[in-house]
Amino acid sequence: MIGGLVQILAFQGLGELASKFLLPFIPGPVIGLVLLLSFLAARRTVPAGTRLVASALVQHLGLLFVPAAVGVVLFWPQLRSHALAVALALLVSVVLTIAVPALLLRAMSKRV
Amino acid sequence: MAIHEIWVYLSGSPLLALILTLGAYHAGVLSYERAGRHPLANPVLIAVSIIALIIVAIDMPYAKYFEGAQFVHFLLGTATVALAVPIYEGLGALRGRIVPLFVALLGGGAVSIASAVAIARLLEADPAIVGALWAKSVTAPIAMGVAERIHVSPTLTAVFAVTTGILGAVLARYVLDAVGAKAWWQRGFALGVASHGIGTSRAFSVSEEAGTYASLAMGLHGILGAVAIPLVAQFFRPA
Repeated sequence: MIGGLVQILAFQGLGELASKFLLPFIPGPVIGLVLLLSFLAARRTVPAGTRLVASALVQHLGLLFVPAAVGVVLFWPQLRSHALAVALALLVSVVLTIAVPALLLRAMSKRV
Repeated sequence: MAIHEIWVYLSGSPLLALILTLGAYHAGVLSYERAGRHPLANPVLIAVSIIALIIVAIDMPYAKYFEGAQFVHFLLGTATVALAVPIYEGLGALRGRIVPLFVALLGGGAVSIASAVAIARLLEADPAIVGALWAKSVTAPIAMGVAERIHVSPTLTAVFAVTTGILGAVLARYVLDAVGAKAWWQRGFALGVASHGIGTSRAFSVSEEAGTYASLAMGLHGILGAVAIPLVAQFFRPA
């Protein structure tokens, strides 16, 4: 388990370094993700420790963005004065974002 | 020791914010289970509401709270890297469907940004709010990194991402039925594109196949969004 944690942290570190010095427009953790993905694809299997740590982290992903989301208290006045715009934008956009991929997939799988 | 002294001691260490964060999330998870995993009883939504009410009530500034809670926040980056494991395991599902899935992902991602930004602009929302809508359909840890890159508030982006996730999880069934998408892989993928992690866990609770495709969609949207959103935003957002 510790081995898995070390591995994931090492890929995170590599990603941060690459983001700092090579690809500043991509967040470090995303580069780390792609590097780990390539590593797994080359290895063709997921080490047990890595799988254990990854599933613990991904399972509780929700917990990890609580501290940032509490920042809503800072934006409360702004959000309240634009409540209609925010609510409509989020609602309509999510409906369209579900509908469009579903329609595209349906149309394309009929033709094939 | 007087209660006052205990309080001063506790609020000076990161412990209070950590207990508050984990305790509120635990309460959120318990309520979610008790509500039969109803999407409206989202644990993140519950935890954030509890903590926001408490820190406002005890007059704790957000910066002070975050000083303690940053240990939890740090792990977001680690968890993003860890997403490689479920994505790797879902790669097999791509076989034979790569082209339609990528077209659907590109279409969904573009519609997500265009519709949200257009509506918010039309209704004259604050530019800070409009900017934070860009990455809202990308999974929250990646969305926050993207927000930093396009110079909008990561916090506001995270709030919109979580809200989008919940809305998608609640509404997906009705939208998908309305457009006549019947196959589980199509339903799951569409949900994953629109509402990332929260949509994915919803998809898994309905069908294993839908869940696999939803997590694939979430992962691919995350990678695509991290690369494409900052590039596209350069052209459409006045600096």
